[in-house]
Amino acid sequence: MWWEKKTRPVAEPPNIRPEEASPAPPEVETFMSEPTPKSTNPSVSGSQHTFLGRTVLAQGQISAGEDLLIEGHFEGNISLEDHCLTVGKEGQVKAEIRARQVVIMGSVTGNVSAREKIEIRRTGHVVGDLVAGTVAIEEGAYFKGSIDIAHNEGSETPADVATSGATT
Amino acid sequence: MPAVSPAASRGLQWLWQHLSNVRHPHCFECGPICQSTLDVLLLRGAKLYLSDLITPAQQSDSVFWSRQGKTPVFLIDNFLSQIPPIPPDSLSAICCWGLLDLLPHEALPQLVERFHSYLQPNGVLFSILREPSVTTGAETRWWFQSLTVLGSSDISHKPFPYPALTNREMERLFPGGNVKTFLTRSGRREVLGVK
Repeated sequence: MWWEKKTRPVAEPPNIRPEEASPAPPEVETFMSEPTPKSTNPSVSGSQHTFLGRTVLAQGQISAGEDLLIEGHFEGNISLEDHCLTVGKEGQVKAEIRARQVVIMGSVTGNVSAREKIEIRRTGHVVGDLVAGTVAIEEGAYFKGSIDIAHNEGSETPADVATSGATT
Repeated sequence: MPAVSPAASRGLQWLWQHLSNVRHPHCFECGPICQSTLDVLLLRGAKLYLSDLITPAQQSDSVFWSRQGKTPVFLIDNFLSQIPPIPPDSLSAICCWGLLDLLPHEALPQLVERFHSYLQPNGVLFSILREPSVTTGAETRWWFQSLTVLGSSDISHKPFPYPALTNREMERLFPGGNVKTFLTRSGRREVLGVK
């Protein structure tokens, strides 16, 4: 089934439900490490995040004003500028991703940009380029790609202090 | 794997001194994922390219071997396909740790040539080679404890699969032959090829 999801649809696609409506959410180690601390769309259900279940197979563009957990398959673009994306253990995502924070426990192919932090847990498998404020990768995770930290131009980096033969 | 005491590295001291004017070095890290290494290099302002080439080499992953003939053949092209896309002449440093001790010698020219192609002028290939007298330790892992201090797992008892590279062989392998070697008391040589 191919569809395009926006966060504030009048009618929701059949396989995308706010978490409250999901009868049996999958077991997840930890959801976002710092979930968005407010309800982002109280008019819909009062929930703080949206859940794409294991049976979801979707392609298109997701632009959301709330946190998102993906346990299914998704291909396309994901934009959650001020919110968190979690790709669960069962999640398989091929996408360009932009979010405030990204936690990956499943498989991601594509470039990931997070204003704050990207975490790849030990079950995570990521191929792509990461840009974030900080990046944490657990031992045992698979990662192939590049990592870049956004620097403010003109600011002095720790490197300027650390390079003269000194240790960090 | 338990860690042994961190060891100050003269090779790394030389490396970072050499790159002291490089504000945002681009580095390729070939070792297993290690948060300490990420933290150290990112704090240094580096852009990192990551792909674990060490673990498959340590495990003699069958994906990289053809056993159709009488003699197994190492599939170097398959091995190199693990490397992420890196622009040529773009890297300030490549940390390949003990990788050169883990691969058959006939595969090394292509590997080192590929690494060399990624280095910018003055870029450095940092590697750790064992002394010829050292026969075990093939599963030892290395990481950055800090910019100039090496962390390592306990020396493993797994024998090295191939003879140790000599300094002369390393000079022949690295295009241009500009190789610096730092000896240590722990049976390892820190070898830096400078483009």
